[in-house]
Amino acid sequence: MQNTSTTERNREGSTGGIITIQTTRFGKISIHKRRIINFPEGILGFPDEKRFVILEHKPGSPFCWLQSVTSPDLAFVMMSPILIKSDYIDTLPASERRLLKGEQAKNFAVFAFVTIPKGRVQDMTVNLLGPIVIDAEKKIGRQLVLANSTYQTRHPVFVETD
Amino acid sequence: MLVLTRKVDESITIGTNITVTVLEIRGNQVRLGIDAPRETSVHRTEIYKAIVEENIKAAKTATDLDGLPKELGALKK
Repeated sequence: MQNTSTTERNREGSTGGIITIQTTRFGKISIHKRRIINFPEGILGFPDEKRFVILEHKPGSPFCWLQSVTSPDLAFVMMSPILIKSDYIDTLPASERRLLKGEQAKNFAVFAFVTIPKGRVQDMTVNLLGPIVIDAEKKIGRQLVLANSTYQTRHPVFVETD
Repeated sequence: MLVLTRKVDESITIGTNITVTVLEIRGNQVRLGIDAPRETSVHRTEIYKAIVEENIKAAKTATDLDGLPKELGALKK
């Protein structure tokens, strides 16, 4: 167990592989340890946040949450960038593309963080420049920083067509 | 900040296993070659900063998803 001085941080209770984590948005939730995804490098801007769990938003919703296991108040809204750009994976650097399209592709998932301007849900943007790639088999996640990309950190999710 | 002057094909070594080589200088652009261990991430600073900033913003704004459409198609698209 790591020693930490932050009072905000969770103390995980564990029984039979099920751990209880405290979250600000979802209250106390019980998850199996196997669902924890390790981010060895943390999330950019949050280098100490190395353990997360993916939570469904609502059944059928395109959105999900990346909830920190250690900080109750830290969670990101995510969605699949493929819903925004159907050829997104084809535009990734070769090394990442191989992971996501190769033989092991079924083990990998790619997400993008969503930013929601307060009170203006329809103006939400998605960060296509820093996708989150998760190896579901090894339970390892990483945020990529795409080089030589025309993608933006604030790509509009909804485009007016009228 | 440590300031060093280098010519084309000269390099600097950072720590024991990171080498930055000046490959080409053309006008006001410099091409650098970076040798670093796989686990060391190397980014263009402005892109890195943009993503850090956006992550912080995303974390702050991830407060309430009520009012979000269940399906993306439910909003004008």
